[in-house]
Amino acid sequence: MHCTWDPEASNKSGNGGGNNEEEEVVGLLAVFLAFAMIMAACGDDDDADGGDGGGEETFTLGVSNTLVGNAWREQMICAIKAEALARGNVDRVVLQNRNTDVAGQIADIQTLISQGVDAIIINPADRSALDDVIEEAASQGIPVISVDAPVTAPSAYFVSNDQVQYGEVGARWLFEALGGEGNVAYMRGLDGHPADTDRDTGFQAALADYPGIEIVYENWTGWDPSVGAQQGLEILTTMEVDGIWTSGIDYTLVEQFSVAGVDFVPVVGADNNAFIEQLITIDGLVGAAVSNPPSVGGVGAAVALDILEGKTVDQQTLLIPAVVSEKADLEAMFVPDLTAGWSSYMEIAPYVSYTTQMVIDCKGPGE
Amino acid sequence: MTAAAPQSLVASTVPWKRWVRRHGWTVGIWLILILLIGYYATLIPRFGGFQVASIVNNGTPLVFLAVAQGVIVIAGGIDLGVGGMLVLSSVSAARLMEGQSFEATIIIAIAILIAAAIINAGVGWIITVSNVPDIVITLGSLYVFQGLALSVLPNPGGGTSDGFRWIFTGSSTGIGTNPWPAALMIVIVVGAVSWWMARTRSGLSLYAAGSDRTAAYLSGIRAARVKIVSYAVGGALAALAGLANTAIAGRGNATTVGGNHTLNSVAAIVLGGVALTGGVGSLIAVVPAGLILFFLNPILTAMGVDPSGAQVFQGVLIVIVMAVTGILEWRRRRRS
Repeated sequence: MHCTWDPEASNKSGNGGGNNEEEEVVGLLAVFLAFAMIMAACGDDDDADGGDGGGEETFTLGVSNTLVGNAWREQMICAIKAEALARGNVDRVVLQNRNTDVAGQIADIQTLISQGVDAIIINPADRSALDDVIEEAASQGIPVISVDAPVTAPSAYFVSNDQVQYGEVGARWLFEALGGEGNVAYMRGLDGHPADTDRDTGFQAALADYPGIEIVYENWTGWDPSVGAQQGLEILTTMEVDGIWTSGIDYTLVEQFSVAGVDFVPVVGADNNAFIEQLITIDGLVGAAVSNPPSVGGVGAAVALDILEGKTVDQQTLLIPAVVSEKADLEAMFVPDLTAGWSSYMEIAPYVSYTTQMVIDCKGPGE
Repeated sequence: MTAAAPQSLVASTVPWKRWVRRHGWTVGIWLILILLIGYYATLIPRFGGFQVASIVNNGTPLVFLAVAQGVIVIAGGIDLGVGGMLVLSSVSAARLMEGQSFEATIIIAIAILIAAAIINAGVGWIITVSNVPDIVITLGSLYVFQGLALSVLPNPGGGTSDGFRWIFTGSSTGIGTNPWPAALMIVIVVGAVSWWMARTRSGLSLYAAGSDRTAAYLSGIRAARVKIVSYAVGGALAALAGLANTAIAGRGNATTVGGNHTLNSVAAIVLGGVALTGGVGSLIAVVPAGLILFFLNPILTAMGVDPSGAQVFQGVLIVIVMAVTGILEWRRRRRS
């Protein structure tokens, strides 16, 4: 079969007679055809090259994200699309959205450069490994905006929730709620991710002020709700904890209290709508939602477009997290019928120009 | 043995037809790659050195990993651990090479390749003595390598020398317009391994053992030795993929999911016409197959296809290739 150096295989096909060669060619043609047909099928829906309506200049935005199937990241991308649509001068948002590593993200950013995008918004998989490709983009006139976590590239713009603060304010609320004493489980995010490292810096700073607090559990959830649930069940069934700090994997953890049949302890989570709903509706559950809106992606898109429109833009835009634990405030934040794991805080003033509904619709220009 | 034997067996065949049968898949898959690149060039605003270098350089790890898988599958095995070996090699390189001179990084690289060959030979040895299927043992080695990688480099970091990055990417920053060093690297490595498998006694025994274990045994080939050799060569090639990864990124990250790389390597050899049943296939065809799989993402992006569509496409393609080759094989058997 195929190409072979193996006498055995040649022997087998040799018995068949003269038709094998034709079959080989037919087989290859079939694969060729399959390629062509799928290519054609894929291409069909994107014939219309929008954006040549008025005389106004239009832009193409590129997005690189390396964690797929994560509600926070999905909402981040929806916010980017919504902002691109709301601004009206974006003809296309090109997505490089797949589970990959640093080398993969470097390739993805090069792909975006090749596609001729005008600006690139990334959620970086590494703090410094992307510097060279970011500088390459900059040298080709393409600004790179890093959202959610910083990069060390000097030319990069940075738009983020303040992750050090995020770690610190939530931890302080928890340690205060425990009266400065007790066993705390520390459920972190994605090992090695810059935001996780920054949150740890803040968490440790708070911890240093509370000598009565002991960390009895420390692990990474990878920001995966199902992993968080597993680890939560393990914590609740095998150890005595007085409080749990999570890096935003909160609502699946809260569900484990009833599974394990134990009383609630204070939980720190993020502004996930499902968690906020639990804090409002579950009797006996005390907790704090620390804001870490994925809609920061929308702010990133706004910054990108400001740069392209020639406005002066600060190289760094930091959103200060809020700690929300009072029932009235939580009720004000809650959005009914939102996807589990989505944040209820979307319209980030004064940066974005979309409406909450546009993020929920998740439609970019031309979609 | 390689060229003369089939000729006498299929004497009635017209020469060009025989050539097509022997090399058709290889030529075809190269043609598909060239056509795809040509098509890509029409889709994007500019097509030049940067775009070519981007494809060749970033596709290199997958090409080496696919060739690693190809050697092992041709010899009748399958190694799910290659992705783990890629990660382990990559983070070991990043940790050991940080701050070192070019000469030192080359020595470290060679040491890693040798160590990888020895470790993976051990995996092959375990398979032969335990008689447990390859897929089970190497699923274990995948997790072991991945775990070892985390202990070698718990936090992302490390580094390498500029010269070492140049060898794999044609640039000290890992990005540029020079695809030649990476291309040359592929030609030399794949050329050497292909030559070994096609022209030497030890290399040919891989085809023989993969094609029919019993017949190979009866003709004096020691199956256990062949398995261990194929795993050793595959391990070194997987480690080479890891070194390319470090050269591209400039540092290491142990949270890289090795399993994804393994699955891509299997997809690449299927597309490259290597039979998963062993004994059949050409590494020369695996090279473009690896590049095509890497290339699907940029080309589908340029076509405006949703990124998850790229994965569906890859899956459909593999099913089609498997179906086509399966039908050909079935018809052949029915007639004989």
